[in-house]
Amino acid sequence: MARMTDLPQATQTNMANLECPRFETTPFVSGPPLAERRVAVVTSAGLVRRGERPFVSGDVDYRVLPADTPASQILMSHASVNFDRTAFQRDINVVFPLDRLRAMAAAGAIGSLAATHYSFMGATDPRGMEANARAVAGRLKSDQVDAVLLTPV
Amino acid sequence: MSALAQYLEEEGVPAVAISLIRLHSEKIGPPRALWVPFELGRPLGSPKDEQFQIRVITRALRLLECAPGPAVLEDFPDDDPTAVDLPDWRPAFDFTAGSIDIGKREVLEHALRQELLAIAPFHERFVAASRRTTIGLSGLSIDDCAELLADCLAGSFPANPDPSANPVQALRWAVDDLKAYYLEAMSADGAMPSSRQMQSWFWDHTLVARAIIALRRQLLASDDKRSQAIGRMNLVPGAQVQRLGLL
Repeated sequence: MARMTDLPQATQTNMANLECPRFETTPFVSGPPLAERRVAVVTSAGLVRRGERPFVSGDVDYRVLPADTPASQILMSHASVNFDRTAFQRDINVVFPLDRLRAMAAAGAIGSLAATHYSFMGATDPRGMEANARAVAGRLKSDQVDAVLLTPV
Repeated sequence: MSALAQYLEEEGVPAVAISLIRLHSEKIGPPRALWVPFELGRPLGSPKDEQFQIRVITRALRLLECAPGPAVLEDFPDDDPTAVDLPDWRPAFDFTAGSIDIGKREVLEHALRQELLAIAPFHERFVAASRRTTIGLSGLSIDDCAELLADCLAGSFPANPDPSANPVQALRWAVDDLKAYYLEAMSADGAMPSSRQMQSWFWDHTLVARAIIALRRQLLASDDKRSQAIGRMNLVPGAQVQRLGLL
């Protein structure tokens, strides 16, 4: 239902007018088959661990989410109220699918699940996140990650 | 998401973005993206549908393996099967917000507590079954969230439990916790109404929604720009502002 025509008129207008960064070149890194890859999730859902400072509008930093963090300890602190939260309330995997990736690793569909995952918060110009995104890339490489699934809200 | 994919890939980390707004992915042109026709907030579609979610993940990750070159934008073919209204749905609990005068602080706080009490057994069952709650951003108990809302509507911002946070921001987290309390209670006993049904019921039938709408009006009339911004953007969803004809 995230077709533009399904959104409220004001949201459609905001989405259509949102300035998006443009890049002159598009990088493209190859790698081994999926069954050999180590997969991490990076989300822009504004996830934090319970007790951490929630994200607020304009934040461009990120939070670290170790894979063994219980689902009960993860909260969503996204600034926007204009998306559904009920699915996340029922099932964290609809946004942060570590259980699904564990099942895929157990079935041999992917190689392994990364030890650490990361959350930014969308609703902010992503150009402000560039330095932090590059820092996260360094941490992912230290964890031997060679596949990242990015999930928005 | 698409810009983050670009930055990660530039650093040598292969990434695939799930896209909820196709137009943005078209503009940014990340290395690889899978557009999904799901509601905002549901990048993997159906909650509690493991096989559906794995199909979405697999389709996305396959772009890492099979995409012929950069700037690939593929469409996921199926809609979320749970994004439909349940016929004649209404929550198992009921109450009427009635015509109480929410401008009277003690009356409002008492009525809010009664509403929270009516919902409590359903919320307890939701938490027992799912072994989690998404309440917790404010750091307050749910009763204290309601008290904070009533206090603020009466014109006083009580001492903030987190002195490093802006008091209006802390109020917003309390409102988020209150909304989560009601919406989670509506999902008790495995109920799976559409988000549209749940939102409509919440905003049409609960006293707390009336109070949040009144708070929005109050913040919009404030001289403080931060309060105005939170009132305008962070309390009532745009779809409800439009549906309810709020100014």
